Amino acid sequence: MHDATLPANVRLGPNSLITGDYLTRDRAFRLFRSRLDPGLVIGAGCTMDGVMFNVGPEARIEIGDHCYFQEATLISDLEIRIGCRVVIGWHATVIDADFHPMAAAPRMADAVACSPLGRGAARQPFERRPVVIEDDVWIGPNATILKGVRVGARARVEPGAVVVTDVPPDSRVLGNPARILAES
Amino acid sequence: MDEARRLRPDWHPGTIPENVVSDPSAYLGTSYSFIRFRSEEPVGLRIGRAASLCDLTILDVGPRGRVVIGDYALVNGAMIICDSEVTIGDYTLIGWDVVLMDTYRVPFDVALRRRALEHAALERPRRLAADVPSHPIRIARNVWIGFEACVLPGVRIGEGAVVAARSVVTEDVPPGAVVAGNPARVVRYQAPA
Repeated sequence: MHDATLPANVRLGPNSLITGDYLTRDRAFRLFRSRLDPGLVIGAGCTMDGVMFNVGPEARIEIGDHCYFQEATLISDLEIRIGCRVVIGWHATVIDADFHPMAAAPRMADAVACSPLGRGAARQPFERRPVVIEDDVWIGPNATILKGVRVGARARVEPGAVVVTDVPPDSRVLGNPARILAES
Repeated sequence: MDEARRLRPDWHPGTIPENVVSDPSAYLGTSYSFIRFRSEEPVGLRIGRAASLCDLTILDVGPRGRVVIGDYALVNGAMIICDSEVTIGDYTLIGWDVVLMDTYRVPFDVALRRRALEHAALERPRRLAADVPSHPIRIARNVWIGFEACVLPGVRIGEGAVVAARSVVTEDVPPGAVVAGNPARVVRYQAPA
């Protein structure tokens, strides 16, 4: 972000850049609400181009060195840990929570709590599980990594894949839901 | 411009169409949602009590289109393409970048599609106004549709069902079902509320 100040609880390593074009530059920290310190750690030599850091009050995102993300959406209500030299393509989403309850009855109560008449009503608990993306992973455009997933080192997540289960190291996954294609 | 039909605040300098009936407790993010709203029905959009229509929701509604959004429903940035009827039940949650479409807008027949496209070039504003069938989408109450999912024409989704993120729903979803994938398949059933 040119000439902009980072939130105080963001640690940005040396030679790392957070950039965006006229459409995406304002979205990086628009939904960054972490009260943890640090709430976001970015290592050295990273390029974060048009990335959205949507981080809840009790959540943290950690990113290693030399990562290159383009227009990725990172949504955390708990914890997302990303290793070094990870590439994330355009419009991919990494999300570590459901944000609404799965069961029908509490979800109905949650709809009321979220509504304009629900001011002050407690939200219902929902599932949150940390996401871990290990070193040298490649995540293609439009891919989605959901809660609780660990993507093993050097794995390839093909474009458009929806990943709901762990991805073994060195494997290649494809499809919705994502299936392991082959050990590369 | 009719000042009474403006939202305040609103980053877009538009108004809410006359045939939008909204409960006073409902939340509308922006008049930009109506840039492609051209329903000529007496009530083109009905928004229930304490329902939310968040920013970046787009209502692309044709002249005969009717959209109903139930009480306490949350539409968090969806694209609703409607030439007949899209009904969203009470307490239903709809995630960002979801597409609900009751019509494909263009004919599948290549010759007819070519004619429709050539005709569109003469329209001002440019608009695909082909005479193609539309099939209502009916989403029951307490349904949850995850982000970036797509619901195709004619689909009915039963009470309490869950559509996982990024699913493409091509056929009806029974009440209580959890569906996922492209095309969406039933993963399991849940107890009703």
